[in-house]
Amino acid sequence: MKKPFGGIVLDTAFRIIVPFTLIYGVYVLIFGEAGPGGGFQAGALLSIGVVLSRLIMGDHASFNISVKNSLVLAGVGTFIYAATGWLAMLNGGNFLDYSYLPFKAEHTNELHALGILFIEIGVTICVMMTIINILDAVVERGDENGSAK
Amino acid sequence: MQIYLIEAILLVFLIVTTISVIFCKDILCAAVIYSAFSFCAVLLYLMMGAPDVAFTEAVIGTISTIYFVASLKKIDRWCK
Amino acid sequence: MRGLVTVLLAVITGMFCSFVTYLPFIGDVNSAPNQHVTPVYIERSVQDTGSPNIVTGLLADYRGFDTMWETTVMFLAGLTVVMLLSSSTMGRRPEKEDEDA
Repeated sequence: MKKPFGGIVLDTAFRIIVPFTLIYGVYVLIFGEAGPGGGFQAGALLSIGVVLSRLIMGDHASFNISVKNSLVLAGVGTFIYAATGWLAMLNGGNFLDYSYLPFKAEHTNELHALGILFIEIGVTICVMMTIINILDAVVERGDENGSAK
Repeated sequence: MQIYLIEAILLVFLIVTTISVIFCKDILCAAVIYSAFSFCAVLLYLMMGAPDVAFTEAVIGTISTIYFVASLKKIDRWCK
Repeated sequence: MRGLVTVLLAVITGMFCSFVTYLPFIGDVNSAPNQHVTPVYIERSVQDTGSPNIVTGLLADYRGFDTMWETTVMFLAGLTVVMLLSSSTMGRRPEKEDEDA
């Protein structure tokens, strides 16, 4: 973004808000099994940190993920989900049957909790990168139309 | 009975915000009213006992407002 | 035509307002959606899926296949937006090759 939202108020507020948002996103991802939350919400919360930093600081933001990387990582997130299913399938179970995951556990429901955590990590990466992607596309389009290169 | 009263007030507010989004001339004003609509929907979801959906709606309402404001900044149309 | 549409809209709104009173209350145990499969999920979701949140267990475990395609749809939506909106020079051949050809 060539013309970022600037100003001392936004810079200071951004410095306070973004770390808490990121930590809360990770908390929602981990705690999503026991309370309200889950992959989708965690991905959206994590993406708010990156999106805000890009909108406020412009091109020299600390976390900046380029369009190519975010597109690839969105695919990787979807792949993690499917790979969890294939992992159970290679170990002798049905697709996405978490009881057959190749880890040691006393009860099968611990394996199920582990599988749910894996797929939620996949959903989180996919949603986060998709939101960053869409913002990138909109902002780049504006740059191209607004100023002739 | 009181919970129905609060729900009725929220539903009326939801309808009013929707109609004012449609008939609002200023684009930034429409975006802000849309975020008010989203917050109202969050409260309604919470009242119906679906905290997961309410959480999603809150986060997505925030992100869509950010999108609208960023697009408005790009096309330089803050007000009409 | 306009009058007909107005009358039709009025009739539909009246039917909606009168039929909405026949809907079951929120959290009604005897309503049809709470009869067949919901009690099974509520009873067995913790020992089956190991997650105390029934919604997460349902979305990620019992209905895991649906959620996978939901994620795929989201990825495809992002991909489509990027392909439609990204700058028009991205992925096009450089100008020199056009001159050669």
